[in-house]
Amino acid sequence: MRQRVGWLVWLGMVSAVVLTGLGVCVGSTGFEDLLSPLLSPLIEPSQTAVAEQIVWEIRLPRTLGAWAAGALLGLAGAVAQGLFRNPLADPYLLGSASGASMGVAMALAVMGGGAGMLGSAESDGSSANLVVSVFSSSLWMRVGLTGAAFCGALLAVLLTLSLSRGVGHTLRLLLAGVVVGVVLGAMTHLVLLMSPDSLQAMQAFILGSTAFVGWTSTLLMAGVWCLCVVTAWLLARVLDGLSLGDATAISLGLPVAAMRATLVAVLALATGTAVAQTGLIAFVGLAAPHLVRSLVKTTYGNLMLLSSLAGGTLLMAADILARGLIAPQELPVGVLTAVLGGGYLLWLMHRGPNRVAGANS
Amino acid sequence: MSVANHVAMQAQAISANLGSVEVLHSINLSLAGGRWTSIVGPNGAGKSTLLKVLAGVLPYTGDVTLLGQAVHQLPKRVRARQLAWLGQNETSADDLSVWDVAMLGRLPHQAWLAGPSTQDQAAVEQALRSTQAWEWRHRALGQLSGGERQRVLLARALAVQAQVLLMDEPLTNLDPPHQADWLDIVHALVAQGTTVVSVLHEVNMALHADAVVVMANGQVRHHGPCKDAHTHRVIEQVFENRIAIRQLDDQWVALPRRSTWPF
Amino acid sequence: MKLWLFATYLLATASHAIQVTDDRGVLVTLTQSPLRIVSLLPSLTETVCELGRCDRLVGVDRYSNYPDSVQKLVQVGGGLDPNIEAIVALKPDVVLMAKSSRAVERLEALGLKVVTLEPKTHGDVQRVMLKIGALLKVPDAQRIWRDIDAGVSAAARSLPPSARGLRVYFEVNQGPYAASESSFIGETLSRFGVSNIVPAKLGPFPKLNPEFVVRANPALIMVSQSNANGLQTRPGWHSMRALREGRLCVFSTQETNVIVSPGPRMAEAARLMAQCIARKGADALTGVKP
Repeated sequence: MRQRVGWLVWLGMVSAVVLTGLGVCVGSTGFEDLLSPLLSPLIEPSQTAVAEQIVWEIRLPRTLGAWAAGALLGLAGAVAQGLFRNPLADPYLLGSASGASMGVAMALAVMGGGAGMLGSAESDGSSANLVVSVFSSSLWMRVGLTGAAFCGALLAVLLTLSLSRGVGHTLRLLLAGVVVGVVLGAMTHLVLLMSPDSLQAMQAFILGSTAFVGWTSTLLMAGVWCLCVVTAWLLARVLDGLSLGDATAISLGLPVAAMRATLVAVLALATGTAVAQTGLIAFVGLAAPHLVRSLVKTTYGNLMLLSSLAGGTLLMAADILARGLIAPQELPVGVLTAVLGGGYLLWLMHRGPNRVAGANS
Repeated sequence: MSVANHVAMQAQAISANLGSVEVLHSINLSLAGGRWTSIVGPNGAGKSTLLKVLAGVLPYTGDVTLLGQAVHQLPKRVRARQLAWLGQNETSADDLSVWDVAMLGRLPHQAWLAGPSTQDQAAVEQALRSTQAWEWRHRALGQLSGGERQRVLLARALAVQAQVLLMDEPLTNLDPPHQADWLDIVHALVAQGTTVVSVLHEVNMALHADAVVVMANGQVRHHGPCKDAHTHRVIEQVFENRIAIRQLDDQWVALPRRSTWPF
Repeated sequence: MKLWLFATYLLATASHAIQVTDDRGVLVTLTQSPLRIVSLLPSLTETVCELGRCDRLVGVDRYSNYPDSVQKLVQVGGGLDPNIEAIVALKPDVVLMAKSSRAVERLEALGLKVVTLEPKTHGDVQRVMLKIGALLKVPDAQRIWRDIDAGVSAAARSLPPSARGLRVYFEVNQGPYAASESSFIGETLSRFGVSNIVPAKLGPFPKLNPEFVVRANPALIMVSQSNANGLQTRPGWHSMRALREGRLCVFSTQETNVIVSPGPRMAEAARLMAQCIARKGADALTGVKP
């Protein structure tokens, strides 16, 4: 088993490198070999200049950013499944998805001039300005959609925590998360109703998109990922102990409540960061741990690292397909992660019910 | 081996609630060290609750001392090294291997980031061998039968190598040979000086212990040696005289008494 | 004698009967020109008013806000989620709405006359205007249309010759969703003679890979104010000509509404776009792909 884990880590890293190379070659013109001009720059200097700009400024950050977002979501999925001891848990369970949607919807509505929100606008008149100034639109402009999504996600998680009065009871936490998710989702719809111009932009957010991921976003996500992975690795033992049951974990001397709170923080941070940069990409957080479990059964420490790698690879592959299939148009990347990840899980289930994790007694 | 005369655990004025119902009513109890004490009583007597209170996994009012020290003043890890608790099955660690699960019992001894030391590995091997789970230590927990699973969880508790071992219904799903094995394990532990406390609903097995605590309705009715005739009468009474305790082949057995009323 | 009068009366009423085939292909018959109209689509509201029959409107949807006089009318919900009760309470002679709404069957089942029209192209605007003109018995609907069309042509003529073939990119929404040649905006731009970097074969509003825009390197970017933030920070965009030289047409939300929605204000939309193109696109070299 130990060797398998090592082998899978290598596989994850190698596939990331290979996919990066592929990602550099796929763009708005479909597949074009840009690696050769880059690797042998003297042969055709003009081509190299073009290749450099396209690759360095656009494709490389986007491909790596897709990996980082997928890694964050994969990690968050593994943490969520360990925290809630439920194989159906995904990182959005604490309401972060709905919170982020709410933030983005409000940002879009306000940035749209506030006219829509009034229903019947008096063209740029005083009341429109009143609404806008109430929400301090210049602040929204600076914060931008990214900031709005991140703050929305975090505020939703805080709301969930306050509703469930702490992390003591997993079931209560789960219920609170679902309730917050549903309520904020409804409020998001309400906001969108009042400003229907934002619908198209909102859809782009809901289906997820890596279109505008640049170096800043990528480095930010990578940084957060490092922080979360290290923290989660340190707490892996707690997750393993928790899987024996809360009471047993306490009897083993584990500071269960404090560590659970830290894990919730890791979950919120990882999810919030990924969602803020790339929108709501579904299924990566849910599927990545299952993909890993189908290949190797191991403790949480290894599971979280491998889920990260799996999530990164999955999202990278989905992003490349999203760009390449109908170039120069793009498919929503969330659709492709569902197709890829879901397809694999379907195949697993078809192969034999024993392959998917479950007791045999 | 020397018979320790110290008190391993002491409970004073323990009351505990489950939800809003008071389940334990001001219990005082003193458990001798280096002995095996079993706790018996009818369903709902509060046996599991008492064990959880002693293990420190359930909130309670009152005082509990462990090896002479007040439990609430002990750091968690110190307490975890001195006291191991095996609860009723609430695990979902289906993906972990048998070896990994047993190794979790070593958590109180392991430094935060350290991997398993040779001591840990030796402890785990000894625990798994004593429950006959060593041969399939690489199988996942989810693939085992009920009895095999229970043996692995027992090994996890044994791996802690604590001075006090509390076990709640440890014989669940175990077939007779393995129940007999369990008896051997307990006797071996007691011989080494470990204090063993078990909650068992099988009175036959419970009567093999050194002492027995008889509980009913959240209170301790009697605490005395297992071979004592008075103890036997109390046990029979607590079970509404539906059992009769007799001696057979040098052991005490509890025989079910059929109802005399025709139905 | 009475019979004769009666027959004349019948003939007279018959000649008042109006028949209109709407976008569903349904032939809607009204006995006379409707005096009470509910409109559930802003472009249809504007068409009615453009034809001079604004006074016949008794109810509009919440998004109809032009001309100003309709803002005083009763609002009966949105185009996709109209308030059925409120509409019925107004006792309209006809309800004008888009065909993609579930309310159509409901309103017809309640006995109301529903005409579904939705202008999507330049040709549609003319068609819808003439149909509503026939419905409302407006004698000079054709002339009104010609005036609007002339307005668009005038806007096109107002452009300097250097704007011919200018490479333009119109972003409709974050995504980025662009307006291609086959969209309404694209049609107007084609009449201006500028070159849209997004070809018609991608559909009217394709969701593009931003890299495509960078490679196409348009000379002029047109975008609405709410989407204009962060254009500079998009990876690779700062090197584009349009951003380097500040050739950015940013339309306010009000202006964007006029430009993006197909309807009788297309002349005004064309003027808005032409003004900006003349200002920002002037003396730019007609860019060729680098």
